[in-house]
Amino acid sequence: MKKILALVLALAMIATLGITSAFAEDDFVDGKFTTPHKITVEIFERPNDGNSDVTSNPFATYIKEGMLERYNVEVEFKPEGRWDEANDIPNLLADGKAADVSYTYNSGAVVSYASMIDANGNPGIIDLTPYLEQYKDQLGDLITLLGSEENLYYDQDPVTGATYMLEAIKPDLSRITAFIRKDWLDALGLAVPTTEEEFYNCLVAFRDNAEKLLGADASKMIPYSTSTDIGWRNDLLSISKVAEDISDEALFVYGYDDRHLLYPGYKEGIRVLNKWYNEGLVWKDFGEHTDSTDEDNLMKAGYVGAFMHNWDYPYRNGEDSIANNLKRNVGENAEYIPIDCFKNDAGITRKYVGSPVGSDRKIFLPSTNKEVLASLLYINFISSQDVITFLQTGKEGVNYELTPEGAYKNLGATGEWIMNSGMNIDYTMTLNGYHLGDATDATLALAYPGIEPEMITLAHEYGYSNYRIAKHFNVGVIESETEVGGSLTSKRDELLTKAVTASVEDFDKVYDQYMADYMSIGGEDIINERIEKLQEVYGITFEK
Amino acid sequence: MSQVKQTALPRNIAPRRMPWKLYMRRYGTLYLLLIVPIAFFLLFRYTPMSYILLAFKKNNILVPPWQVPWVKNNGFDWFIKAFKDRSFQTALYNTIFLNLLDLIVGMPMPIMMALLLNELAFPKYKRVTQTVLYLPHFLSWVIISGITLRLFGTHDGIINKLLGTEIPFVSSENNWRATYIFLGIWKECGWNTIIYLAALTGISPELYEAAEVDGASRWRKIWHITLPGIRSTIVVLLIMNLGHILGSEFDRPFTLSNKLVEGASKTISIFVYERGIMGQQYALSTAVGLFQSVVCVIFLLISNALAKKFGERGIW
Repeated sequence: MKKILALVLALAMIATLGITSAFAEDDFVDGKFTTPHKITVEIFERPNDGNSDVTSNPFATYIKEGMLERYNVEVEFKPEGRWDEANDIPNLLADGKAADVSYTYNSGAVVSYASMIDANGNPGIIDLTPYLEQYKDQLGDLITLLGSEENLYYDQDPVTGATYMLEAIKPDLSRITAFIRKDWLDALGLAVPTTEEEFYNCLVAFRDNAEKLLGADASKMIPYSTSTDIGWRNDLLSISKVAEDISDEALFVYGYDDRHLLYPGYKEGIRVLNKWYNEGLVWKDFGEHTDSTDEDNLMKAGYVGAFMHNWDYPYRNGEDSIANNLKRNVGENAEYIPIDCFKNDAGITRKYVGSPVGSDRKIFLPSTNKEVLASLLYINFISSQDVITFLQTGKEGVNYELTPEGAYKNLGATGEWIMNSGMNIDYTMTLNGYHLGDATDATLALAYPGIEPEMITLAHEYGYSNYRIAKHFNVGVIESETEVGGSLTSKRDELLTKAVTASVEDFDKVYDQYMADYMSIGGEDIINERIEKLQEVYGITFEK
Repeated sequence: MSQVKQTALPRNIAPRRMPWKLYMRRYGTLYLLLIVPIAFFLLFRYTPMSYILLAFKKNNILVPPWQVPWVKNNGFDWFIKAFKDRSFQTALYNTIFLNLLDLIVGMPMPIMMALLLNELAFPKYKRVTQTVLYLPHFLSWVIISGITLRLFGTHDGIINKLLGTEIPFVSSENNWRATYIFLGIWKECGWNTIIYLAALTGISPELYEAAEVDGASRWRKIWHITLPGIRSTIVVLLIMNLGHILGSEFDRPFTLSNKLVEGASKTISIFVYERGIMGQQYALSTAVGLFQSVVCVIFLLISNALAKKFGERGIW
């Protein structure tokens, strides 16, 4: 009898063990775990001077304590170099060492691993759809930040129903702004340009008056500078040649390249740049340089008349910004001002910007993750407004002081309270950009030490004035896009650099030849697949 | 000839005829020692090779390749895809072209340099020169690429400024190739002389003395004694270089390249990096790697056979 009892008890014990491990969420009561759970979370790390330890600074500690208190989840940060992550993520996934909650700008890696099946028949990335369905009620903060429940499923495959990624929000639409040297305009008696023609005339005037503007350094005059990332650095001019009435479908079909290369009309913008180059208006050596250091130095030294770049490019990096260096090197009145002068056929300075959802980094859980609920709770926690506000502003008196208008004035903290990334965007995994309600714009304007807030506001505004967001057609994975890797991006830069530096007579030949290459190594397949998918999923027929 | 064969080694020395037990007692320890390197090769060279199978399988690295389904075209789909791909064709062409240039221009340089060093009369001067020549070998290509732009930039480069010219050393494809080869020689030439200098010390001084007695000039001595003395070394190195004709360095073309010369600088290694590492096309890049290796082995075999035909010993 004793024996039987022992056997029964033993069996009962084994059975309970089995049940508890199969339904590990049993200890999740009233929105909190009753026993401690542990997850690892990826965190970007930047090699800037004076940065603090991303895994243990006050912001990291705040998150760890918050997660423990709110959900009884212990968080361990796994640092990952911001500028290496796109290459590292595939390796970490291959090695089974990616953090439980990972984020990346390399969405191709996520798609690739989601398509690989492991020994248990599961994809390399966890399909979130069933979990999102089950735990939707726990994800209120995330849904609020994303704007709608629908956006949880932004990347859901329309055929299989699988969701392998969550989107981070980029609330700020501002993208690229053009800048020009105000002191040079004044010295030559020129007005701030409002059209492409006026802009061109300014460049010509800079070139022809190099002696007056630069004196002994006249030979160093660069009226307009660019880099081999011409798609980014000349975007406003290029897209001003895109017809105003371009359809949503065309924006989708030709929308693979994030620099708008395939948009109809784009070539004409490059033709203009090619003409400028041959007239000696563009930095002659841009093609030989592979990073931005030299060009930045030329701007800081005061040799560059105009350029296009990220809307805050001349103002970022605090005291070491291009604007502040320029003042020190050339004089108090030397400054870059934002302009908005590249108009399309309808006379509008149209900007094609990314949607707040879908154009920033992606968050995913690798299949090695055994704590899906705890991970989702982390994503929800990091999306709640109180956490966002603290991470974006920091500690009063150290990171910011409140202005009478309610804006957070950046004090440029150093030491352990330094923000390793602006606005702590590396910690606010689901969010890239200020999200402070009414205080947002005013806070942004005060975020650049040494720069007039009005200048920031203007540059920011020009970066998205007359914007248009391409409509989101969710057609699932486009196979041909996962195959090309970095090769099309690399080919695009080669194409544009070659075309701009060609002679005016050879421009068409060079552009068309490299474009044919671009098409044959994957561009054509991508366009065709996008057309097919549009037909398949939405029933829309698109004529090329 | 037949007589020579008959008077070969006495029977008792030939190891094959030695009783097995005696042989093992005498040489067994050596075989025991050999186990370690053999195990190393089996474990770290041959076991990983089983993953070559991935070249014929679907792109999945979450499970071992033998569990992954085959691709179409009898498993050769990736090879067909690669050869149809324009960027691979360019990469293949560039790899062969740059390696051939390296071979033709780069290989004689260290030989000449070694001969020159060998002729130097003052030992101290010779030693200093050698050290100076070796130093560039220890610089990484990343550093050299930085220096290159400062030196060879079309408008800002020191060389062009000194010459008062605007020669596009690094921005036109043909000039870039020349710069690439030149930098390769500059970096490795001194280092590569080591092996030739070692071979030179093996030449008997008596030969030179005899030549001197016969009144041979310095040039004659080089031509009739020194060069034949290092001929087998030259041949071995030539065979090894031919074996690398399709192999490609990564950091040299990658760091020296820029967007204006990518048509000349994209080699197979960069193709594999872009597709394999950045694009997660592991199966495709394995196929390309396998193709590279197979061609290299073929080249190695052919050049070795040719060397033997011309009376050299070859490398095995």
